[in-house]
Amino acid sequence: MSPSPEEKSYAVGIDLGTTYSCVGVYKDGEVQIIANDQGNRTTLSYVAWTEQERLLGDAAKNQVASNPTNTVFDAKRLIGRRFDDPIVQADLKLWPFKVVSDGSKDDKPLIEVFYQGVEKRFHPEEISSMILTKMKQTGEAYLGHRVREAVITVPAYFNDAQRQATKDAGEIAGLRVLRIVNEPTAAAIAYGLDKSDKSGVAEKETHILVFDMGGGTFDVSVLAIQDSVFEVKATAGDPHLGGEDFDNRILSHCIADFRRKHQSDPTRNQRALRRLRTQCERAKRLLSTQTSVTIEVDSLHEGNDFSIRLSRAKFEELCIDYFKKAMEPVEQCLKDSNLPQKAITDIVMVGGSTRIPKVQELIKAFFNGKELCKSINPDEAVAYGAAVQAAIVSGQGSEDVQNMLLLDVAPLSLGIETAGGMMQVLIERNSTVPTSKSQDFTTFEDYQDHVDISVYEGERAMVKDNNFLGKFTLKDIPKSLRGVPKIQVTFTIDTNGILQVRAEDAKSQKRSEIQIANEKGRLTQNDIQKMLQEAEKYKGEDEISKGDMLAKEELKVYMQRFEKGIQDLDDTKLQREDRERLEGKLADAYKWLENDGLKAGKPEFDGKQKELQAVMNTVMLKINRSQTEFWDQQVVHHEGEKTIDKGGFILHCGVDIRDLIEDPQ
Amino acid sequence: MASGDYYAVLGVARDASDAEIKKAYRKEALKWHPDKNPDNKEEAEKNFKAVAEAYEVLSSPDKRAMYDRGGKDALNGGGGYSHADFGDINSAFNIFEQFFG
Repeated sequence: MSPSPEEKSYAVGIDLGTTYSCVGVYKDGEVQIIANDQGNRTTLSYVAWTEQERLLGDAAKNQVASNPTNTVFDAKRLIGRRFDDPIVQADLKLWPFKVVSDGSKDDKPLIEVFYQGVEKRFHPEEISSMILTKMKQTGEAYLGHRVREAVITVPAYFNDAQRQATKDAGEIAGLRVLRIVNEPTAAAIAYGLDKSDKSGVAEKETHILVFDMGGGTFDVSVLAIQDSVFEVKATAGDPHLGGEDFDNRILSHCIADFRRKHQSDPTRNQRALRRLRTQCERAKRLLSTQTSVTIEVDSLHEGNDFSIRLSRAKFEELCIDYFKKAMEPVEQCLKDSNLPQKAITDIVMVGGSTRIPKVQELIKAFFNGKELCKSINPDEAVAYGAAVQAAIVSGQGSEDVQNMLLLDVAPLSLGIETAGGMMQVLIERNSTVPTSKSQDFTTFEDYQDHVDISVYEGERAMVKDNNFLGKFTLKDIPKSLRGVPKIQVTFTIDTNGILQVRAEDAKSQKRSEIQIANEKGRLTQNDIQKMLQEAEKYKGEDEISKGDMLAKEELKVYMQRFEKGIQDLDDTKLQREDRERLEGKLADAYKWLENDGLKAGKPEFDGKQKELQAVMNTVMLKINRSQTEFWDQQVVHHEGEKTIDKGGFILHCGVDIRDLIEDPQ
Repeated sequence: MASGDYYAVLGVARDASDAEIKKAYRKEALKWHPDKNPDNKEEAEKNFKAVAEAYEVLSSPDKRAMYDRGGKDALNGGGGYSHADFGDINSAFNIFEQFFG
């Protein structure tokens, strides 16, 4: 840690993934991917609520089988979507946690959990913000400084609402979101830096294709790289295709097999499904390196064990339509970039699902057997690139980083509805951002005094087939015959890929505009403020419950020591009745821990420990003779615990039992 | 920065090769991207957009030919915008026929 004053706050790069998240920071001229408190360089995008506390990341997933309905994941599949979105409706059936509509006209999805006996509902943005909080803390623990700013990545094919919602999630986590960056673009930076390290800065123009398939989303981008300028030529993808879909296929296969073997249906048994899904995911991973696996779950449902052999060939058969579907965006992206196949110098594979041999095989075949670039870490490349971008935008990078430039594009065409429900495109997809485009329109009827402007994104000719973003009205147009007024509509996309639309009547200079974001289910600034406060409260609660956990652990450690102490004192030193008294107390304490201990807090744990200490102290006072020996034994037997170098041990409540006993010397 | 003529925006000759146009674009983009001008964001963004617009037209052989023949008007009235359906000389007229319902 360098404690110079100008480095008080760092900007980090966060890859907020569907299943895993990763955080990196650019520091001392290089990117560090930061390991979490469990020592993992990626953190599971999980949040769970137990009786006592909220768990984030790996800790949340570890208890998923015993607490499936209160363990939330996949928030990225919900973010920026409506509850009635067919994709949400399909996902719902596979999630063990409950998702409901907020009942408003925006039809926002809410995730429902039980926490401390009370029903709580969260927006997907809040769940994502909790994961971002975890990543922020991970960064802070490593840097020893506050982290206030971040670059967060999203799938290139995320639409406007999904980008906005992700930005909101960052704000709720108390982060200033410097930039929303597309994941494949971030990965390309990682690749580009890796390359320039090896072969000097690329002076010749190279074209790369990034194939990014993660847990939940899939993106393809084609970039041109020259002189440290990274220019995205085209991007395509599927915001809902990834490893989890493959897991689901294996899961369905297993359930069908179980039904056939046992004539019973485990689909309503959430715990069984969760246990089985975990094994399916494991099997999928193993099948990337071995040709067959056994999926086994003891006592899965109604006492029946489950076991099935799954070959790689069978797995490929189960998912082949997904794999083939993934080739379409590759083709589209090449076409959009106006590049022949052979112009692609490198194919960069990113995201965990690119480890699947069949996926590699298909893309290799698509490029006539060209070798794939696997030199960058598929799990960390996106966070790596985001960290570099954070350094560029916040001005913290070294000179070579400051000279880099990232030219990204808007993934979807944007336009408005005109007569007959047609889509009039103002900004074509793959336009470099930031960008502004204006176009003139006029009125349809004589003396029309207002126009409604409906904004859409998508590639279809009719607006009904595209995605509605928002609507606003330009009023008080001076009355005149149809076709006379001149209304200029301007679309502006900022560097985050977020859209603003403005309409202006040329004659009256009347203006009307919307930040699309305020429509379509986006959280209002008020909502965000409320959630920020809620998040702050959680922080307090987390800390309280951390204190509770610590006190509990200390009590447990003391009890073990207590037990060992009794064992180590032989009958010549410890009278039978005292031994029984101590053992009785200890047994009581264990029983208390199992029952009352579940809902106890720090005061109760501390109290219990003091109680045990008091008994022990009284007994110890009686044993004057062999105290010295006892101290020594304690030291010997409790290595690694807090011991006093002269012997004895500190009791956690601060009572040193030697204070209670006369000096043995 | 000149905003009228696309060639002037990029600082290239009218007979510049594709490679020259690309090179000029990268140079100007690096100069005017808002990320590179944190103290002068607004002007930078305006200039960047002008540079990107010029490049969008001049990097496409079709659009460049159209622009060379009839200037910006040939590219449907304003901006570098062009749509496949309105890619001919009548485009400016057609666009005006787009009515709000």
